[in-house]
Amino acid sequence: MATQMRRSGPGEGRSDRQGGPGGQQAGKKKFFYRRKRVCKFCVEKIEYIDFKDVKTLQQFIPERGKILPRRISGTCALHQRKLQSAIKRARIAALLPFATD
Amino acid sequence: MRTYEVLFILSPQVPEEETASLITDFKRVAEGTGAKLTNEEAWGRRRLAYPIQKFTEGNYHLFVFDTDQSLSELDRRMRNSDRILRHMIVRTDLDHKRAEKLAKRNPKKERVRPAPAFPAAAEPQPVPVAEPAAVEGE
Repeated sequence: MATQMRRSGPGEGRSDRQGGPGGQQAGKKKFFYRRKRVCKFCVEKIEYIDFKDVKTLQQFIPERGKILPRRISGTCALHQRKLQSAIKRARIAALLPFATD
Repeated sequence: MRTYEVLFILSPQVPEEETASLITDFKRVAEGTGAKLTNEEAWGRRRLAYPIQKFTEGNYHLFVFDTDQSLSELDRRMRNSDRILRHMIVRTDLDHKRAEKLAKRNPKKERVRPAPAFPAAAEPQPVPVAEPAAVEGE
């Protein structure tokens, strides 16, 4: 949990390639601060992520059909791992697409 | 005892009477190797997320077995059947066990970091005995 807090700290933001600790704009900080992401599965106490539960899985599948990264969804490491394997299983069962477009 | 989920997709071309007999056939194969059917779901016709063998629809069916034996015979039959577009056998007992364990651990986590108010999921309250033990552990 502690790591998660650090990750969304100042200067990090959502971008992968930041130039460095963003000292140039103090205003930027506010933008990134506003949304506090929490792990959906921790909040709802879903411990077993079922690959057959397409409705839940679909929330983590953006347009393109890729798996939503943790840094955007806020899922904790443990649940992201479970989610990942559930999505992959669902793809094999043709419940979810491998790719769309 | 292990638990397996067997999900398979029957071809949409198979007529209904044959579907039923195929399903009972597969059930019998598994039960012949000592598996016990604990749950069965017929999802019926569903759109496939992508075409398989040029079909865009499939007839989904799910078995849940408890068994000590391997389901390899069922697996082999399913693989060889041309009526089945796809099948998947997944072992779930270990994951369910772990999930149960985690569900018990969660109340402790909540003390550290209260979760935002959410439509109360009717979860069992933390057992009072477990709490002092948790404090000692830290």
